[in-house]
Amino acid sequence: MPTLPINIGSYLVNLCSALLLLTCFAIVAQRRLMACVDLFALQSVFLAVTATLVAYLTGIHHIYLAAVLTIAIKAIILPRILKKIVRQLNVQREVSMYVNIPTGLLTCGGLVILAFFITQPIVHLGFLLTQDSLAIALAIVLIGFFIMVSRLKAVTQVIGFLVIENGLFLAATAAAYGMPLIVELGIFFDVLVAGLIVGIYTHQIQEAFGSVDTSRMKALKE
Amino acid sequence: MTILLFLVLLLAYVSGMLLPLCFPGRPHIQNVIAHGSASVACGMGIVLGLVGLLASEPLVWFLPSSIPLLTFSLRLDALSAFFVLTISLVGLAVSVFASGYVREFYGRIPVSLLGFLYNGFLLSMLLVVMADNAFFFLIVWELMSLLSYFLVVSEHEKPDVRFAGLFYLIMTHVGTAFILVTFLMFYQETGSFAFEAFRSADQSLPEGLRTLVFWTALIGLGTKAGIVPLHVWLPYAHPAAPSHVSALMSGVMIKTAIYGLLRVYFDFLGGPFPWWWGFVVLLVGTVSALLGVMYALMEHDLKSLLAFHSVENIGIILMGIGTGMVFYAYDMPHLAALGIIAGLYHTINHAVFKALLFMGAGSLLYATHTRNMEEYGGLLRRMPWTGLFFLIGAVSISALPPTNGFVSEWLVFQGLFLSLELPSLFLKFMLPIAAALLALTGALALACFVKAFGISFLALPRSSHARKALEVPVPMRVGMGFLAGLCLVLGLGPAVVVPLLDRVSEPFAGISIAGRVFEMGGWTLAPVSGAFSSLSTPVLAIILAGLTGLGWGLAYVLGGKGKTRFYKTWGCGLNVTARMEYTATGFVQPIKRVFSTIYQPTVKLETEFLEESHYFAKRRHFEFSIEPIFLKYLYHPILDFFSTLADRSRVIQGGNLSLYLAYIFMTLVFLLMVMG
Repeated sequence: MPTLPINIGSYLVNLCSALLLLTCFAIVAQRRLMACVDLFALQSVFLAVTATLVAYLTGIHHIYLAAVLTIAIKAIILPRILKKIVRQLNVQREVSMYVNIPTGLLTCGGLVILAFFITQPIVHLGFLLTQDSLAIALAIVLIGFFIMVSRLKAVTQVIGFLVIENGLFLAATAAAYGMPLIVELGIFFDVLVAGLIVGIYTHQIQEAFGSVDTSRMKALKE
Repeated sequence: MTILLFLVLLLAYVSGMLLPLCFPGRPHIQNVIAHGSASVACGMGIVLGLVGLLASEPLVWFLPSSIPLLTFSLRLDALSAFFVLTISLVGLAVSVFASGYVREFYGRIPVSLLGFLYNGFLLSMLLVVMADNAFFFLIVWELMSLLSYFLVVSEHEKPDVRFAGLFYLIMTHVGTAFILVTFLMFYQETGSFAFEAFRSADQSLPEGLRTLVFWTALIGLGTKAGIVPLHVWLPYAHPAAPSHVSALMSGVMIKTAIYGLLRVYFDFLGGPFPWWWGFVVLLVGTVSALLGVMYALMEHDLKSLLAFHSVENIGIILMGIGTGMVFYAYDMPHLAALGIIAGLYHTINHAVFKALLFMGAGSLLYATHTRNMEEYGGLLRRMPWTGLFFLIGAVSISALPPTNGFVSEWLVFQGLFLSLELPSLFLKFMLPIAAALLALTGALALACFVKAFGISFLALPRSSHARKALEVPVPMRVGMGFLAGLCLVLGLGPAVVVPLLDRVSEPFAGISIAGRVFEMGGWTLAPVSGAFSSLSTPVLAIILAGLTGLGWGLAYVLGGKGKTRFYKTWGCGLNVTARMEYTATGFVQPIKRVFSTIYQPTVKLETEFLEESHYFAKRRHFEFSIEPIFLKYLYHPILDFFSTLADRSRVIQGGNLSLYLAYIFMTLVFLLMVMG
């Protein structure tokens, strides 16, 4: 049985979730691609910590395994792949964006409010431990989506996709104390494969268009 | 016993589909196996059809499936059996013909694939007319459409074939959509997809729904049948297919729609329906018959000409059925049965002679490698058998005695004349007009086939293709000969055919008329009474033969010398060449003038004069085309509307990845806000 009082546990979980959200904002505000990848790795570490906390507080053991896999895949392997791509492509900075950084941050703030507003009716139905995490998870999903929409470079769009994945994982942990182990394993495998495929796909874009700027793909339109 | 027969039939088709695939690169073996199996299966089908027609109770086979609402249930009642018989009779002849005809394709189209599709197509048609579950019916109906589509695009390297295929595919799916709606309406009312449930629901359906079902079935099935104005795909698709497939499509496939109409109107809806249903069917039939033959006249591509004649003949069939429906609505079962029998009789007749004619056209194509009639000529001397069989087919489709086309059209006329007995003044007035238009149709059809036969087979060859033509291989002649014989048998034997058809119409009209329509011990057909009208084709045949013999005899006696003189005909000292002949275009010129309101012809004549003098023409260029009214005023506006709509909506497709992501994102946020 956990030795921590349940409300302190709840605070800790909320704290970690908030840190996750914070890294999201940092990614939105960051132009340098290497830093974005690092921030994503950091976010994954926070995610693993949250999962460990939940596992410890609830005594559900397979969440530990999920936390270990998160560290391994999302904090170590995927960032390495992404960094390799960034080095190969020799694109260090995202110069132009569809939405500039201050506006982007404001929009993300709006998205967080929206997420809290939407989850309002369901929060009090949830477990005490992870009450606010669901809202934060939804906010992370929305911000991840926003990153995908607002950035031009394929690499940052991949990061946006992975952020969405992190948000979903947090939601699963928060709302349901994790999914069945087999599902989680499947998802990790999927993410890994997706990372690899996207790496190749980015290369192809680079080869075909001489840039990883996805807006160049307009040329494919008839 | 019959189930065994059916299983053997199924096995034969399946082996015809799959066995040729086991002999890659040996087209001759593939050909023999594919069409041999199809012939065996069709033989079984003929027996099955006869057994079904003569059985006192419908035969029902049932196989449940794990898919909800779907059961593989088959039912062979008299109506189904009649169509099984028709399909198999024509299928047998066409299969024999095809074994010769596909030699043309060796090395160009994989024969195993052709055999696979061909056998599958025949099987799917059989299952369509036997299906006893709406779900199953739709599956086999769709299979039939798709397989025929693939057969149509066999020569897909030609762009016009691809266009024809696409056109066909779109039209047939529009039709299927309407059929689907028809069945869904039944399903909504009965809660079941079994035809048995539809059958027992007939009276309980609300009046509005019944009317809706009438229209959707007419449009859905009419698209397949090729009624005007839904016929536009037919003159493209039927000629584009290989000729043996055209024979099946034009002869048999479009008849499955007639089957569907009879099934839905008489079997499912049943009961007293309003008189105007019958009138609409009659009207559609009359318009189709007349316009079909009129457009056929203007065609100089032999296969397109035949395709337009299919529109005409579907019209005649519907005239028979429509008359039957009118009488049925006024509770005159005796005459209703007469109308249905006339329609069914014409169905099998048209299947036989149209398949025969398409095979004839295929033979000409095989021998000359062109479909343009203006390049034929003088083929009777080079291809006497094909010529004879084509002539028999032409005589039948022109409804001349003593062939089968004459008998069934005569029956349709009887139905229309008997409108005198109807209580409604309007119909008393309209039905004789329909009869007059049918007479016009018959006359135009005759003119059309005088053209088709005369231009193709008589006079001098108009091109080197025709000059070098040779008679087609034996299997092709056998296939045509079988159907030519059948044309005569069906014409001479109404005494046998009508009682069989009576078994089909009896459950619908509720009365058997087989015992009443014959006089003189079965030799004379008299639908009402001998005093009103009667017909005996055997006697007619004897009289015709006698007159011919008499003519010959008189010529021999009066003409004196039996010696034949070979001399140039009416040459007036000139050397007669092929360029002096009557052309197909010239032949139809008077008709084109008379009906110019309908054809709206555009004639372009450009003359290039010699520089020295304007009295001497160097070259003349003549071009003429008729206005495709339905395409121009009905289909193109619809197409234009949709392409404009598509162009407008292209704006949202920016081609930018982020934009697409933004669409998804906006939708997500919007939904969250609305739901939250």
